[in-house]
Amino acid sequence: MFTSLAKRLTLGVGAAMVAGTIACGSGPATAQTVITYADWQLAQDIWGRSLREAFAEFEKQNPGIKINVEPVALAQRDIKFATAIRAGAGPDVFALDANPVKQYIAEGWVKDLTPFVDKEGGKKFLSDFYPRSLEPVTENGKVYGIPKNIVAMVMVYNEVMFKEAGITKVPETWDEFRVAMKKLTKATTAGGPIDQWGWTIVAAQAGFDLRSSVILRGFGADFLTPDWKKSALDTPQAKEAFKFIVDTIHEDKTMPPGVAQVDANAARRLLANKKTAVKIGTTWSLPEVSGMNPALDGWNVLKMAHIPQKKLDDKSVRSTLYQKSLFMNPNTKNPEAAWKLIKFMSDPPQMAKWFDDNLMLSARQSVNVSHKPITSSPYALTVAQEINRSAFLPLIPKWPEILETFRRNLQDAIAKSKTPDEALTNAHNQINAILARP
Amino acid sequence: MTKTHDIGDVSNDGTGTMRDNYKGYLFILPALLMLVVILGFPALAAFLQSFNLMWVAKPGFSLGAYRALVDDAEFLHSLFNTVVFVVVVVSSHLVVGLSIALLLNMDIKFKWMWRVVAILPWTMPDVIGGLVWRFMFDTLPGIVNSVLLRTHLTTEPVDWLGQPGLAFFAVILAESWRGYPYVMLILLAGLQSIPRQQYEAAELDGCSALQKFMYVTMPNLKHMFIISLVLDTVWESRLFGMVYSMTGGGPGYSSQILTLLSYKQYFQFFNVSYGAAMAVVLATVLFFISLPYLRLSMRQQI
Amino acid sequence: MKKSNSMWVFIYGALAVMLVYNLTPFFWMVVSSFKSELEVVSYPATLLPNVFTTDAYEKIWLQEGFLLYFKNSLTVSLSTAALSSLVGIFAGYGFSRFRFKGRLAIMTAFLATQMIPGVLLVGPYFKMMTLTGLYDTLFGLILAQTSITLPFSVWMIKGYMDTVPIEIDQAAEVDGASRLQTLFLCIVPLVLPGLVATTIFAFLLSWGDLLWALCLISDPQKQTMTLGITQLVGQFRVYWSEIMAATVIASIIPACLYLVLQRYLVQGFTEAAVKE
Repeated sequence: MFTSLAKRLTLGVGAAMVAGTIACGSGPATAQTVITYADWQLAQDIWGRSLREAFAEFEKQNPGIKINVEPVALAQRDIKFATAIRAGAGPDVFALDANPVKQYIAEGWVKDLTPFVDKEGGKKFLSDFYPRSLEPVTENGKVYGIPKNIVAMVMVYNEVMFKEAGITKVPETWDEFRVAMKKLTKATTAGGPIDQWGWTIVAAQAGFDLRSSVILRGFGADFLTPDWKKSALDTPQAKEAFKFIVDTIHEDKTMPPGVAQVDANAARRLLANKKTAVKIGTTWSLPEVSGMNPALDGWNVLKMAHIPQKKLDDKSVRSTLYQKSLFMNPNTKNPEAAWKLIKFMSDPPQMAKWFDDNLMLSARQSVNVSHKPITSSPYALTVAQEINRSAFLPLIPKWPEILETFRRNLQDAIAKSKTPDEALTNAHNQINAILARP
Repeated sequence: MTKTHDIGDVSNDGTGTMRDNYKGYLFILPALLMLVVILGFPALAAFLQSFNLMWVAKPGFSLGAYRALVDDAEFLHSLFNTVVFVVVVVSSHLVVGLSIALLLNMDIKFKWMWRVVAILPWTMPDVIGGLVWRFMFDTLPGIVNSVLLRTHLTTEPVDWLGQPGLAFFAVILAESWRGYPYVMLILLAGLQSIPRQQYEAAELDGCSALQKFMYVTMPNLKHMFIISLVLDTVWESRLFGMVYSMTGGGPGYSSQILTLLSYKQYFQFFNVSYGAAMAVVLATVLFFISLPYLRLSMRQQI
Repeated sequence: MKKSNSMWVFIYGALAVMLVYNLTPFFWMVVSSFKSELEVVSYPATLLPNVFTTDAYEKIWLQEGFLLYFKNSLTVSLSTAALSSLVGIFAGYGFSRFRFKGRLAIMTAFLATQMIPGVLLVGPYFKMMTLTGLYDTLFGLILAQTSITLPFSVWMIKGYMDTVPIEIDQAAEVDGASRLQTLFLCIVPLVLPGLVATTIFAFLLSWGDLLWALCLISDPQKQTMTLGITQLVGQFRVYWSEIMAATVIASIIPACLYLVLQRYLVQGFTEAAVKE
């Protein structure tokens, strides 16, 4: 494999350089620049390992710079970054998904990277990135972040459990999906309590956006009107989607109890431990879930399919785009070194590594079309197809607040303290009130 | 430990014996300076912030924050929750604390061991307590559901922290567990200071156990009761870590209390004057609640 | 006071109920911390570990940097305790031995500030720290936590000093000792047990704090135990066994100290208000 050969080569060169320095015995007493990098994906075994390897490589290439890593829990990420940045501190470089980016830009919590981009060649530098991947990080012609990945959410399922439950056809409509989930929900020991369920949604904060939005969209509904100015939760499709979630929990009982607290990680763990057979996920689910429980044999057992729909012939948006970008803190004291790191992380070799380690598609077109493992991956193909049927969640500064309002109302409906219709109407009105605020 | 010396005669004669009373200022100066800088000033600043006067985007006197509070369903719910939480938790602390104090005041064997066991919950920092209880109430791998299922009290696991009523109940239960030894210790000290002769006299008068409790124990405990009531009320109203780590105020805002909401407004949604206004409301209420304690304490110092 | 046998059965029965009630969370915390990652998420939960392992402790201590958080917590709590006790010794002596104008008013102020909720102070304090460059420093956190402990320390130490007869001061004065000499050579040794109790209590208040650390610390290298643990929750790679191991570590010091200290604490709390 060319990439691994290249890796070995660079490693070899690096080692030789280190050896050289030691041999000379006069290690130049260069003042080390320390760059702090924060990423919620550091708080995770497989992603974290991959990132740390990348930094080791970076440090070898740039002997004057040392990377300090700061893992942060996804649920606490934004409050932590925002507090620190407002106080004049915070990590030099950090990663965000598209969800809160417009708020960061509006509040001035991310540095304008346009001057750096211009030095690299401006438009030409950006031209390799998918135009869509640049949407979240661009505002008034200025670029605030460099995209790393872009993927769409799909359905990840356990093929063996499907077979065991007698499901021969992967569900393509929500009706089929519901039937399949019922078949999967059962007691694994005769006479015992039910200890296997069909699937679970993510209703806790961390990971809610991507995984729950596809149900709404799969039913042909959406959060906001296309211009992102008003709530669109008063449509019959939205009602149907909302009711679908609540019904599968309370009537079908095809989700494990305790949905309200299931976050992205808990959903993965349920799939890894064969408590559920389906989750909404994407390419990253495979390495993640497989890593959590090697006994599952995830790489062979887990498969991917498209997000179910209301009607098969529907050609509209049914899934949600995930995009991860790298940003610079406006408070950084070493913008040049910080930019070096951002550039390094978003250059083609690191993008290719991110696929090799984590099965994540690149935001660079050149990588996706030329990196062999990507072009030959069936998973990459499924996800790439789904990208064409996907849209971003609203890219507006108020989005995090709107999403949280929606989530709380869904939780009320799940907890039965409101009927699905009441909760949805409530969410609709509250979201309109948020949008009406200056 | 040592008995309190009767220092009253010194205080009573005021200036008499001390010729250098002005030096007192020098001794208290460091503490006073710190009080002003790290307590007085931030408190004043918070007060001004709540009226939109200091360290806000566009300063200018405004009652807007307080006006908005009245219409804010989340604030009203959190206020209501705080009241319910404090009333239930403090009453349970008093009842359980008094019961266990009475038990420990008897001639039981291995007294020190029981005493150690009785105090343990209080030794756990509240954040830690919140996490432990959160995991106990966890729907699938938690001990509560595990025991309920094994004893066939339920057939399906209960979603303790996912149901609004249950989640709030769970938080109340957790803090009832954690906080009572504090009240118990104060009441036990009170019980131990009741002179034995009073009980003996009551026995001679032919009083029953209940009568002894009503006419000897309770009147003697009155001061200690007020102290523990006030202090515990203040401490529970200020509680933050337990709820933060156990439910984060959720699901929705069903278990949210004022301290948490004020923190969120300030640090998550950046509504500075709004968060400050909530904290000012809480501080004002607490000040009035603590008046009996302040009066009782200061009376001893005159 | 003789009691019938059935009464004793009731008493020990009640004590046994208390035992179970008080110890269950500790039991669950300790048991879970010795489970493997897989077992700790198994359903229904096992009451005792099938396989006893200390993996969670190793991971928390070595991999997750809890050694560092432990050191930070020690630094912050010890400094807070030392600072508030030192300042408290002076103030306690001042209030106990001198009768100056405004004494009662200032003492009331100290007592009343104990009632201020932390959330009132933490926002403006955050701003003060960013303006002075003390945000994200342990020193800033120590100052902040002193605001919780100082009023309490002053009152407690004053209470202990009140128990020392005034004749001691007078004798020292006759011998020509200055006020400072009297304080440190005569009074402090006599109230030493109380002083230790006060210091330990300040230490514990600081050890258990989350709010201040949460708002004033952002660098993971400077996190305290409580903050470090809450930051673990929700991190993708962290299992409950590891969180429980961390909580065990965080609970050991306070459990031991409280048990040693309980007697003195009661006096501290009540001294101020009750003098019979």
